[in-house]
Amino acid sequence: MLETLKNIKFQNKEQQQSLENAINIGMPTMKQEEWKYTYYNKILQNPFEIATQQKLSETKFDVELVPLLQEEKYKLVFIDGIFSAELSYFPQSHKFTFWNNNNIEQSNTGDFLLELNNALVGDGIFIEIQDGFSEEENIGIYYISTIENQIFNLKNKIKIGKNVQVKFSEYYINPNNISGYYNIVSYIDIAKDANVVWDKIQDGGEQYYLTDNTFVKQDRASVYTINTITVSGNIVRNNLVIDVDGEYAENHMNGLYLLHGKDHCDNRTLVRHNQPNTNSNELYKGILADNSTGVFNGKIIVAQIAQKTNAFQSNRNLLLSNDANIYTKPQLEIFADDVKCSHGATSSQIEDSELFYLQARGIGKEMAKSLLTLAFAGEVLERITEKNKNYIEEKIKSDLNIN
Amino acid sequence: MLTINNLHVKIDNKEILKGFSLQINKGEIHAIMGPNGTGKSTLGNVLAGKEGYEITDGEIIFEGENLLELEAHERAQKGLFLAFQYPVEIPGVSNANFLKAAVNEQRKANGLDPIAPNEFLKMMREKMELVEMKKDFISRSVNQGFSGGEKKRNEIFQMAMLNPKLAILDETDSGLDIDALRIVANGVNKLHTSENAFIVITHYQRLLDYIIPDFVHVMFDGKIVKTGDKNLALELEEKGYEQFETI
Repeated sequence: MLETLKNIKFQNKEQQQSLENAINIGMPTMKQEEWKYTYYNKILQNPFEIATQQKLSETKFDVELVPLLQEEKYKLVFIDGIFSAELSYFPQSHKFTFWNNNNIEQSNTGDFLLELNNALVGDGIFIEIQDGFSEEENIGIYYISTIENQIFNLKNKIKIGKNVQVKFSEYYINPNNISGYYNIVSYIDIAKDANVVWDKIQDGGEQYYLTDNTFVKQDRASVYTINTITVSGNIVRNNLVIDVDGEYAENHMNGLYLLHGKDHCDNRTLVRHNQPNTNSNELYKGILADNSTGVFNGKIIVAQIAQKTNAFQSNRNLLLSNDANIYTKPQLEIFADDVKCSHGATSSQIEDSELFYLQARGIGKEMAKSLLTLAFAGEVLERITEKNKNYIEEKIKSDLNIN
Repeated sequence: MLTINNLHVKIDNKEILKGFSLQINKGEIHAIMGPNGTGKSTLGNVLAGKEGYEITDGEIIFEGENLLELEAHERAQKGLFLAFQYPVEIPGVSNANFLKAAVNEQRKANGLDPIAPNEFLKMMREKMELVEMKKDFISRSVNQGFSGGEKKRNEIFQMAMLNPKLAILDETDSGLDIDALRIVANGVNKLHTSENAFIVITHYQRLLDYIIPDFVHVMFDGKIVKTGDKNLALELEEKGYEQFETI
């Protein structure tokens, strides 16, 4: 695919510049520390085509394939990377502005994925939510794949005003389990006193690839909760950066990756505490079966002026097979002296003593393993939106054969 | 109900049970007493089917079946229950879900349908009263944050829910204060019928003031060296286990 890219010439100056930037920077390689365990090259070795507007008119999509979508009140739907006004419906408030925008701009980030995204971006979300807006109902963003071997680039910009209460969920739906690559970049600005909850439900099947770069800025006393739940993926790479730019702001990062077969999930988080009296709380749990691989790298930087920061990070992994692998690295860079910070990483198998206890009560080995695995995931599951929690729980249960 | 014949058990190449034999009939309460390290817990674990033990000789017949051919969960489904000395904590699995799974697996093994939710709840509440458990117990994780006494009461509670034919209490009294002891003993006595049987493994005589045994066996160096009635327990309390060292 890299060869294909080299032969493209864009009319748009900014796109062309970004394309050249990307080619000059080159793909991430495993020689780079941040990509040590994730073989990005594998993604672009596939013969992906760039999604175009033309394709949308050719496809017929059956909404009934996605029950989640039918039940959702507010939804922004992208089919094969193209926005579908027909299937979408967003809050009808003057305070909620949405339009489909590719958000192309002049870009020189020095990052391959970001430049690639700016060069190839098709559609994207532009949302501006004004001060005081409050919505109970979840706003679902759906990325649906129906055409095989496409690369979808979406760039999303979301500005959230003061005192806003809002919940978003992103879903990757791949009903025919086809191969595809999503390169998503999102910028989320959260103003004072706002409370934002964001669930990323990454369930695109074992054939899809995803690189997600999410950049968040938090202003004073805002609360941001992000739940990244990865249930499948050939290669999934999440890069989350949160700049805590306002005093008394806090964030909660919860992650759960449930991997089978040859799934590969790489979660990177970076939280920069730039102001005093802020909190961040991170819990990522992994359950790895078969030959799957998990990577976790959580970095916390506390600036010198960020006194009274509390930052807690924990990564726990349950290995269900001898061939599963987890690479975990916590990093703390603390420049202030009056803070409370901690980090912990564990990897374990199912406890024999717990297993025997269940067996001694008449529960067979397989069912006992399933109960214990579900219990392990439970700690993160109880932190996500009810509706998504039920969806994921059902998925785990059917994976593990529990009723 | 249970016949253990000349059982020899090794662990890590060391022989722990050296020709252990015992006969239990329904309706009976047998106490097994002995000093530490004599194989009391090994007996309980081997009966329950814990892995890691090597059975070099002997047999165990439970209700006419060769127990050693059954896996741990099958033995439990057939009506064998081990109340653990050190019950393990299982975070994330609620007491309710755990027991519902156990009850339903047992019912399935006996050709019954899963228990109806309201019937299950009613049964839980009834048995919780028996061991004086608080209401929030249902949703709490198994044994998580429980005191020693609460963990032991939970063992008796589970026994009440599963209604086993043969219950083995592995040093259930260890670490219990007098109140917890009374609750545990009361639970066992209420569950005791002419159809089931109990093996009470204990180091101290105290529990046997509350759970009156039909037989008391002294276990020493991996086998039973003396059998008597409840008075034997009192005699042991007075004279200790040294008298058996010469045998």
